[in-house]
Amino acid sequence: MSNALLEVSHATKVFSRGGLLSSRRIVAVNDVSFRIEAARPEIFTIIGESGSGKTTLSRMILNIEQPSAGSLVLDGTDLSTVRSNRDRLAFMHKVQPIFQNPFEAFNPLKQLDRYLFMTRQRFSAAVGQAALEAAVDEALRKVGLSLKEVRHRYPHEMSGGQLQRVAIARALLSSPKLIVADEPVSMVDASLRMSIVNLFRALRDDLGISIIYVTHDLATAYYISDRIMIMQNGRVVESGDARTVLNAPQHPYSQQLRAAVLLPEVTGGTAPANSPST
Amino acid sequence: MTASPALPARPDAAAPILAVRDLKAHFRTNHFGVKRYVKAVDGISFDVRRGEIYGLAGESSSGKTTLIKTIAGAIKPPLEVVGGTVDFAFLPGYGGLHRAPPAEVARIRWRHLSYIMQGSMNVLNPVRRLRATFADFARSHIDASDRQFEQAVVDHLARVKLDASVLTAYPHELSGGMRQRATIALATICRPDFIIADEPTTALDVVVQKDVLGMIRGIQREIGSSVLFVTHDMGVHAHLTDRLGIMYAGRLVEEAATAEIFRRPLHPYTRHLISSLPRIGDDIQRKGLEGSPPSLADPPPGCRFHPRCPLAMAACSERVPDMVETEPDHRVACFAVNGDQAP
Repeated sequence: MSNALLEVSHATKVFSRGGLLSSRRIVAVNDVSFRIEAARPEIFTIIGESGSGKTTLSRMILNIEQPSAGSLVLDGTDLSTVRSNRDRLAFMHKVQPIFQNPFEAFNPLKQLDRYLFMTRQRFSAAVGQAALEAAVDEALRKVGLSLKEVRHRYPHEMSGGQLQRVAIARALLSSPKLIVADEPVSMVDASLRMSIVNLFRALRDDLGISIIYVTHDLATAYYISDRIMIMQNGRVVESGDARTVLNAPQHPYSQQLRAAVLLPEVTGGTAPANSPST
Repeated sequence: MTASPALPARPDAAAPILAVRDLKAHFRTNHFGVKRYVKAVDGISFDVRRGEIYGLAGESSSGKTTLIKTIAGAIKPPLEVVGGTVDFAFLPGYGGLHRAPPAEVARIRWRHLSYIMQGSMNVLNPVRRLRATFADFARSHIDASDRQFEQAVVDHLARVKLDASVLTAYPHELSGGMRQRATIALATICRPDFIIADEPTTALDVVVQKDVLGMIRGIQREIGSSVLFVTHDMGVHAHLTDRLGIMYAGRLVEEAATAEIFRRPLHPYTRHLISSLPRIGDDIQRKGLEGSPPSLADPPPGCRFHPRCPLAMAACSERVPDMVETEPDHRVACFAVNGDQAP
């Protein structure tokens, strides 16, 4: 049992709102358990609508929120024991986040390469400018950019897709084992979206990084996921192999979600039914 | 063939409810002596016919929001209309809402032209109950007693499956889906001829979105309005719109019946857009497009898509391709598709 990369068991998060007399308890995440194997990198997708608790769950995995009950164990370390600076640094070495809006994730007044250099210096003993630049350049090349394109550039000079690639390159600098990506493509333009999604696939296949992909978009989830987990009101309603679950959802809520997906094609026309074009 | 067969007589096609001609709207800024023009809408022409839902698709910063702002007459500096006209059938002779006198605009607004916006919280007054909001917007346009007006509102709310009790609620007391349905009811209560819908379902959950789209469709069919529907979500367009215009970097690149666009896209950008959409149930490898959308402050010369276009030719970087009707009701602006018609 020691070879789990991430083991979430019975994780629960309760937020209390209101004052002494009228406090309300909101159970954002309710008894969620799942496990990602270290030996088999995968793209694990958490699907849910707003208010389903998917973001709270991903914040607990990133150790930004602490669970009210249950535990999260990453690579043998219980996240509740990660408190000192050294522990946190070791934790961040293994887990890196990618957020929804890259324009909010980067300080608009700071040059992008500074972020990359700082991250690199934090995670490895400083070894001189040349080695630093080589490491940053290598990470950028993994996402289809290069240091030449990014050097001295401010966030507003890049497109959303490029900036999201820089965010991914920054995450790669610590050579993480797990990337938690919360709606990473919903702010990215349609023409660039698939290249980011394909990049996640390449990270899994070429670098052996597991990815927790948090989204509400069933179509991209189907496209890249190995396993998915569907959440509603903090609870997991269905989970399993992505193809199996999305092709034939069992739970009524999953069926409802699946039925609500608007297919990007016009039905009822005279188009031949799915015949391969010649 | 010497002559094309006569088109069936179609009065609606002859008199479009909205005719946009060569519209140019630019942002003009002047900071510390540095002048910048952002050509957000640069020479767009299209018609919206009576009783149809016309979809407008494009990525962020393709100019679609600026286009509908200009059409709706919501022009504030630094946005300026540099050229072209916007003609509504119910507002003839002015060439656009921004040129019409305020009294005229007040007359047609809400009665003939209404809006459904993305954030319902921005439309509904947060400190007024819905009943008061309905009165604020629509009371002056409906000639009826207070009692009849209230009854009309209640009847109309039933069309979007809202109970009369929501009239006593404040906007924050309703869920996002209910609020958006209330704004749809608000936008359609005066049975307007034309509705501008800007990403009305983008902020909603998928399950709710499908219901809301169905309601927009139902009401539109019932009252016979025309709708200009803007969203970047191609799934929504496939589900709802009758005709579809594709925008790229401030220009319209293709326009046809929605089914035609999905079945036989002609412009390389549209082709890419359609083929890059993942679908549940197939495992075809999808590709993203190289490069990134151009900056509208400094767009590439010629066709603005040419730096990313797999079919780019010499002419593409020199001249702007015109929108050419390649087939009835299918217009596309591309030298590779239409051939180079230059002298």
